[in-house]
Amino acid sequence: METLRLEIVTPEGQIFANNVKSVTLPGSEGEFGVLPHHASLVSLLKTGVIDIELTNGEHEIVAVDWGHAEIDETKVTILADGAVAIVGENESEIAKSIESAKKLIDSMSDSDVAIAMAEAKIDNILKSKKY
Amino acid sequence: MANLKEIKRKIKSVENTKKTTRAMKLVSTAKLKRAELAAKKSRVYAEKINEVLSDISHKINKYKVGGIDSHYFDIKNDIEKVDIVFVTADKGLCGGFNIQTIKQVQTLMKKYKDKKVKVRLRAIGRKGIDFFKFQGIELLTNNVGVSSSPTYEKASEIINEAISDFENGVTDKVILVHNGYKNMISQELRVVDVVPIEEPDGKESESLSMMELEPAEDETILNSLMKKYFEYNMYYALIDSLAAEHSARMQAMENATNNASERVHKLTLAYNKARQESITTELIEIISGVESMK
Repeated sequence: METLRLEIVTPEGQIFANNVKSVTLPGSEGEFGVLPHHASLVSLLKTGVIDIELTNGEHEIVAVDWGHAEIDETKVTILADGAVAIVGENESEIAKSIESAKKLIDSMSDSDVAIAMAEAKIDNILKSKKY
Repeated sequence: MANLKEIKRKIKSVENTKKTTRAMKLVSTAKLKRAELAAKKSRVYAEKINEVLSDISHKINKYKVGGIDSHYFDIKNDIEKVDIVFVTADKGLCGGFNIQTIKQVQTLMKKYKDKKVKVRLRAIGRKGIDFFKFQGIELLTNNVGVSSSPTYEKASEIINEAISDFENGVTDKVILVHNGYKNMISQELRVVDVVPIEEPDGKESESLSMMELEPAEDETILNSLMKKYFEYNMYYALIDSLAAEHSARMQAMENATNNASERVHKLTLAYNKARQESITTELIEIISGVESMK
């Protein structure tokens, strides 16, 4: 199976680095998905949620406030100002990371619509993961 | 007896020095831990943003993407004026840390002078400023207090000055020099050409397709990315330099403490010898006195 190399870095360190099946990014011109062999592209990202499909079919989500994505055939590099991965061993840890992700989005975006959209997206994905 | 007293005084003085150097070493060790962590965290981001930019530079020069004619990427052969931004510490007592950076700057200056290129210096850190002032070399800007407590705001302020000169065509190149942190015991000089952006050396990018930009209408995305790149490079240079400074000072102070210990040891030996000598002299005096009375 062909994969993409996805790396998400922020000034506070690396958030994510792994091979993935596909990734959905919140581009400034609208949301877009990236599969392997995507044409080269540099895009601005707005406040939102990055939806990562891992090689085992599971989804992982990362909230970002603002950043840039550089995409080519084999890799996706995301340079974000702030990013929070929603992960955890148990429910309380996950709840905690969701809290901080929402805080990050709240602090950055000035439009309520964007906040609501991002938060709804987080809830949706979480529901589908049956946490 | 005067000799004895003198040696004792010396021992005391060296011991006091030792106390000071040991305290400085401990302080640096504690500060190093924090600075090292900060430098390590931001290193990933700094490396990635450089990688992305040199990738973009490569593609723009190769395909002339979307008619973008950004002179950030335009590598000229005949340059006339160069800005060197260099970072030194505000304080001394850290071995060859500052002098290494200064020497590198001088080498660069000589290199460009030989090519009849004008060089301007932008200094950060008191030690570098003092050095060049003493030499009678003019500095374009001085910044004191930034290298001991770097902030992102201050870093972007400094670099944006240099960049705006580049944008207005005043300079053709901006070089950033700092002494970076390699590990606990060694530092490494880093010289970066900030603008124009270098292409990845040697290795061809695997990607062959044209590059698109989104949003496409204007150069906002490139400009915002560039701004981030400049500011972050500067900021990273500052925190990297701070970590290196502490590691250099820690080492210098450890050496000083060891030297002081050695000195105390030698002086103690000398002191004992002198004491023994004076006792022997006294004994001889007494014995010879007794002998003469017989």
